[in-house]
Amino acid sequence: MDPLIGMGVLALMGAAAVIAGISEDSESNVGSQSNPNSQVQLAPQMMYPHRIFNKAISGEPPSNALMCAIGGTTAAILMDALGMSALFSITIGAFVAALAHGSYSTMSFFGRPTSQSRFKQPVYMDILRGHISPIMAYAFVTTFSIVIISYIMISVLNHPFPLALLAFIWGTAVGAIGSSTGDVHYGAERQYQNTEYGSGVNAAQSGNIVRNGEAGLRNGIDNSWFCIKFGGPATGLAFGMTVFLSGWITMVFDPSISQMIAWASVIAGLLIVLVLIIFNRMIEVSSRKSYGPYKADNDEVTA
Amino acid sequence: MIDYVGLMADNLLYLLLIVVGGLLVAIGVHFVPVGGAPAAMGQATGVGTGTVQLAAGAGLTGLVTAAAVMRVADDMLLVIASGMVGAMIMIGSTMLVGNFMYIYGVGVTPASGKVKYDPITKDRQDLYLSQGTEGHGVPTSCYISGIIGGGLGGLGGAMVYFALLSVTNATTALNVIGLASILAVAIFFINAVIASYNIGGTTEGFIDPKFKRVPKAIVASIVVTFLSAIMSIIIIGGI
Repeated sequence: MDPLIGMGVLALMGAAAVIAGISEDSESNVGSQSNPNSQVQLAPQMMYPHRIFNKAISGEPPSNALMCAIGGTTAAILMDALGMSALFSITIGAFVAALAHGSYSTMSFFGRPTSQSRFKQPVYMDILRGHISPIMAYAFVTTFSIVIISYIMISVLNHPFPLALLAFIWGTAVGAIGSSTGDVHYGAERQYQNTEYGSGVNAAQSGNIVRNGEAGLRNGIDNSWFCIKFGGPATGLAFGMTVFLSGWITMVFDPSISQMIAWASVIAGLLIVLVLIIFNRMIEVSSRKSYGPYKADNDEVTA
Repeated sequence: MIDYVGLMADNLLYLLLIVVGGLLVAIGVHFVPVGGAPAAMGQATGVGTGTVQLAAGAGLTGLVTAAAVMRVADDMLLVIASGMVGAMIMIGSTMLVGNFMYIYGVGVTPASGKVKYDPITKDRQDLYLSQGTEGHGVPTSCYISGIIGGGLGGLGGAMVYFALLSVTNATTALNVIGLASILAVAIFFINAVIASYNIGGTTEGFIDPKFKRVPKAIVASIVVTFLSAIMSIIIIGGI
């Protein structure tokens, strides 16, 4: 393949990956999925009933893998069996995945707060009505972007895996990245804006999440508004980096040309990893210098 | 009727490769610093997600890269090296951006709660811990441990895929690719779960005292991967 076209394809995949990362993180913030949801689930038990959407169908990677695999399978069937165009097939596939995700979210929302009725946690129907559309919309965008990435890999880059499996793998990866990066902004910062900035959450504060919003009582959409400022784009950056860099090494050093160039792609990858390690060390040193050792706030609850 | 004994005898080398690959995955997962839900709240060192999930994300990314290389090259070393690099890039990017979150989003310094000094950088850790937490972020030792873990996971996953794809069969290449990829993912998850049970929640990688439990995981992984390998070879070789 012409290297310039290859780079263009890779740039498109990287852009789709950034969008997938952002929408994945926003979906998990609106619906409160994954690790920080442990606090949303815990809050009523600590006598802090709230109006935050509570789902956590499963961990983010399996949940995203499921919806991307549904999207990929539907798209593959429509393309192969009915001969539909790729764009229509992928759009319909993403729509079917969003519907499936919406039904899981609804079931999960009814199940989780209901189990806490003994702690006086109400099931708010207006929260369900207001949140289910953004959850499904974000699920649609994520699935669409992931299936687009998988489709480009198969049709242009001739990847040997079937579409559904590739969508499943990238869905797992975007979920793993979203739950490792963006969730920290939601869990450690947004949920605990009532504690001092610049510290991890004291174990004694567990469950004491902020329940007042910028106006009125806080809900999942308020959380998504806050986290889209940093957590969402950072998730997009991480997933975009993964898709772009892992494809870049085999695009620039094409293994099909010769054995030597194939090994050059491995060396290029190891150099990228080395740069990542050095960069990580640099930001660690800079944080130690600028923040200094931890100083306890006397007003805070001691563990 | 499938000739089971003949099938195994023909693919003995691949059986061995699958077991070694699975073992590498199980060992690799022990290196990945994961803090689970507490890490997402800045209460524990490591990446804020589950062991299996992060390792699977990294290992499967490696599998995608390995498969792309294997389409054009049949050198086993090259394929597994590509798988290793793909997984290392994924886990490296994730941990780096994770640290962005801790440093710029939460305002904490990466610090380990298990050791007083970072064994690689010799930086003091305990002074930087927030009150009531067991650490936060991914300090350099944990970062390098994660890179090693991701690399071993990718290496193992790619080795399993390579072996499964090479099993003697009487079906089309497309069918074998489909089966081999799904079975490779399955063997990957099985081994990641074994490691996850062994770790029991959170770990900081090779600096964590729980790392000493690796031998137990090795035994469990060999037994389970051996059985999985036999079934996988029968599935691919039998059709």
